[in-house]
Amino acid sequence: MRFGLFLFVWLMIAGWDPKDLPVGFIAACGACWTSLLLAPQRKWRLRYAPTVELLIRFLRGSIVAGFDVAMRVLRPDMHLAPGFVTASLIASPSYSRDAFCLYQSLQPGVLPAGAEGDVLMLHALDTGNPIPEIVAQDEALFERAVA
Amino acid sequence: MSLAIDAFTIICVAAGVFFYVAGTIGLIRFPDSLSRLHALTKADNLGLGLVALGLLPRASNFPDAFKIIMIWVLVLLSGASAAQMIGRALRRGRR
Repeated sequence: MRFGLFLFVWLMIAGWDPKDLPVGFIAACGACWTSLLLAPQRKWRLRYAPTVELLIRFLRGSIVAGFDVAMRVLRPDMHLAPGFVTASLIASPSYSRDAFCLYQSLQPGVLPAGAEGDVLMLHALDTGNPIPEIVAQDEALFERAVA
Repeated sequence: MSLAIDAFTIICVAAGVFFYVAGTIGLIRFPDSLSRLHALTKADNLGLGLVALGLLPRASNFPDAFKIIMIWVLVLLSGASAAQMIGRALRRGRR
């Protein structure tokens, strides 16, 4: 199943030429092996309604983040107060937490810069924003979506 | 219909270019490396998304459309992952 999915992606990207198929098989085998190696110990179960809500929030956040940066760079004073802020995390170190950090790195005004224990270090463009509260809301939704 | 598709493509690609330019200006104007990462990840992600969206109606078949979407998804994932790793390295370097 996993191998088939990777082979499908490769065929869609590289085309269906039979002479390229051996390379596609090797690439799909490599991708399959790597994904099994990195697969989480605990199986994820997606809950549909929170996942859709998370996706909508992610898309909205990504658009707002792009506008936020564009508006700042075009203002003469840029309205910046950069610095680090910390946010408490519910999840223990896991692939799920890494995925949440990936999600968070595309949200407006924040960039995860590593975690220490249960504390996520974030670089913020404006430290005056209520970032820990927003991260807590995001994580609660993420935890609901990825059971 | 063709005119509407052309207009959609022009608007989306032009908006995408705007965000790319904004990201590049941010790279120059923002005061430190970590702030510059915000410009590169966020503005460019939206810019590429808009360019991809604008090009989708011009794809002649499903594999071409799939390729455009995959390019956006892979750049999104790799850009966000790399930005985090650079951010972590910069934070450790500041201590």
